[in-house]
Amino acid sequence: MKALTANRLYDGEAVFWKSGAWVERFADAELFGAEETAEAAQSSAAAEITRVVDPYLIDVIEADGGPAPLSYRERLRALGPTNKPGHGKQAAGGADVARLAHAHGSARSTGRVNLIRRK
Amino acid sequence: MYLYDDIDRAMLEDRAAEFRAQSQRRLAGEITEEQFKPLRLMNGLYLQLHAYMLRIAIPYGTLDPAQLRKLAHVARTYDRGYGHFTTRTNLQLHWIKLRDAPTILEELAEVGLHAIQTSGNCIRNLTADPHAGAAADEVDDPRIWAEVIRQWSTFHPEFSFLPRKFKIAVTGAPTDRAAIRIYDVGLRLKRDADGALAFEVRVGGGLGRLPHLGPVVNPDLPARHLLSYLQAILRVYNRHGRRDNIHKARIKVLVASLGAEEFARQVEEEWNKTDKAAVDIPDTELARIRGMFQPGGFETRPARSAAFEAARAADPRLARFARRNLTAHKIPGYALVAVSLKEPGETPGDATSEQMELVADLAERYSLNEARVTYEQNLLLPHVKLDDIPAVFAALDGAGLATPNIGLVSDIIACPGLDYCALANTRSINIAQAIARRFEDPATAERVGELKIKISGCINACGHHHVGHIGILGVDKKGEEFYQLTLGGADGDDAALGQVLGPALPSERVSGAVDQIVEAYLAERHDGERFIDTFRRTGLTPFKEAVYADADQTR
Repeated sequence: MKALTANRLYDGEAVFWKSGAWVERFADAELFGAEETAEAAQSSAAAEITRVVDPYLIDVIEADGGPAPLSYRERLRALGPTNKPGHGKQAAGGADVARLAHAHGSARSTGRVNLIRRK
Repeated sequence: MYLYDDIDRAMLEDRAAEFRAQSQRRLAGEITEEQFKPLRLMNGLYLQLHAYMLRIAIPYGTLDPAQLRKLAHVARTYDRGYGHFTTRTNLQLHWIKLRDAPTILEELAEVGLHAIQTSGNCIRNLTADPHAGAAADEVDDPRIWAEVIRQWSTFHPEFSFLPRKFKIAVTGAPTDRAAIRIYDVGLRLKRDADGALAFEVRVGGGLGRLPHLGPVVNPDLPARHLLSYLQAILRVYNRHGRRDNIHKARIKVLVASLGAEEFARQVEEEWNKTDKAAVDIPDTELARIRGMFQPGGFETRPARSAAFEAARAADPRLARFARRNLTAHKIPGYALVAVSLKEPGETPGDATSEQMELVADLAERYSLNEARVTYEQNLLLPHVKLDDIPAVFAALDGAGLATPNIGLVSDIIACPGLDYCALANTRSINIAQAIARRFEDPATAERVGELKIKISGCINACGHHHVGHIGILGVDKKGEEFYQLTLGGADGDDAALGQVLGPALPSERVSGAVDQIVEAYLAERHDGERFIDTFRRTGLTPFKEAVYADADQTR
């Protein structure tokens, strides 16, 4: 599975693609089963230069009964800094945040690596 | 302190207005991110994991109370009420919105602050000895010369697109408190054989992927020729620096490949062709700048303060604070007071707005309107009367700023790491917190003695891990956080690059391994030996055995 992420232009917030809109919570992100639909969404997102910066696809796995980003870096983006639990998306708390915080899985953020290579 | 004149002020106002127009065009879609990115970086605005980060320059680490209060205000109004002081003595704000950034630059300009020279391939914001103007061993105040270089280098058209970034550090004393050997150019003020003011010039130091300690290329540069000689260095670098390969583009690679002698010869050749008088600072302008750094307000006082001695004898906590956080001042009856931003469990280098305001108040009331930022991520009150130490200690203590750990195991340098930074492989802060908690008992930390731990979350080495007595580098092993330990690094007059201890450790093993290293040191040390002395005598072996004897052991 994949999800599409970026940083919002006006404030830098980590955001996720959902059917043509950008949402702040990973739990609300649209998940792509097929490579083609994910890539199509990425091309549409790349044209949205006044809304986001550098959209890229991330790998998503099932973790404790729900989806979670595979790479630690992307889980950290979806939660906030671990030294300040009150800052970032994790501050809202709730079951989705707890599940992401406990998810395991380790791989580099492939979408991010590709983005760096492209530059 | 240097005071901005009308030209400086107009420049900062223009700069903020220019950035407002640029960011409006970006938000409106009139320019692309690719076009905008270099413009925002020229104003210190980076895009990180959770938000934009604004890196505010603190030239040579010197702040007046109004500036420190403004930083506190900006952090509270536009960020989340705190900031992170870095190894480059800058302040980073981690939760900035692009739409607020031009207003922040306008606010900073009101007190002579800005984010110029905090990014890009230019001559970056300068650092200097944090004890400048207060150290007994000082030959000349390094901030005078750092300010001269600042004025010359800001927006210098020839040196705005160098092969790579370029960092200069200046120290004014024989003792190096500015880590000049790890800088692109490290300058040490001295007297030459005739007693004239001169610089020992080092070129080609730096950490990162290819760490080098900068060799001396000129042992006796007459101080008045500083700018023409720097121009010659930069011209040689601009001409021959490796623009083809970002990993080899720093001047350290050029100096290492030519050899220091040949590099020095080429600089000399370029310098001899230079019309020095056209570049060097005129004596009148140097005198004007020098005048602004003349300390004012010192009183003639006895070297001993009965009030301070009595307070110290009565309060063991004050006594410990005095042992660790005070340094003798060149003026009798005064001391430098280190303000620790390393309370165990907190984030190294972080200060809240309230803490910044408290230090500003103390600087105003007790330190002749000056505060300093150190590259070891602490603050400093440089000119405190001994009589006032008990009051300053009490105020700092009430705000979590009086941890008596300067130079000790819990005074850890750590970069922001993966918690914030887009370049990081691993976190750094959590490792620093775990180590500091193990040594949070001040008596234990004091028994261990001087021990400098430096942590970087990636090879770029913002946390100076190569020159830590214990260096810790975060590495990404298939997406998991691992940490490579090095021992024996140092960054002062006895600078050395650390040696790799062994295979990288998983994050949960790191603080335990530091504990094992410390235990091995305590078992091995001779009387009066610091950790680094013991390491230099024994080498890696006892430490390797301590950490890797039982490879499966997890603590």
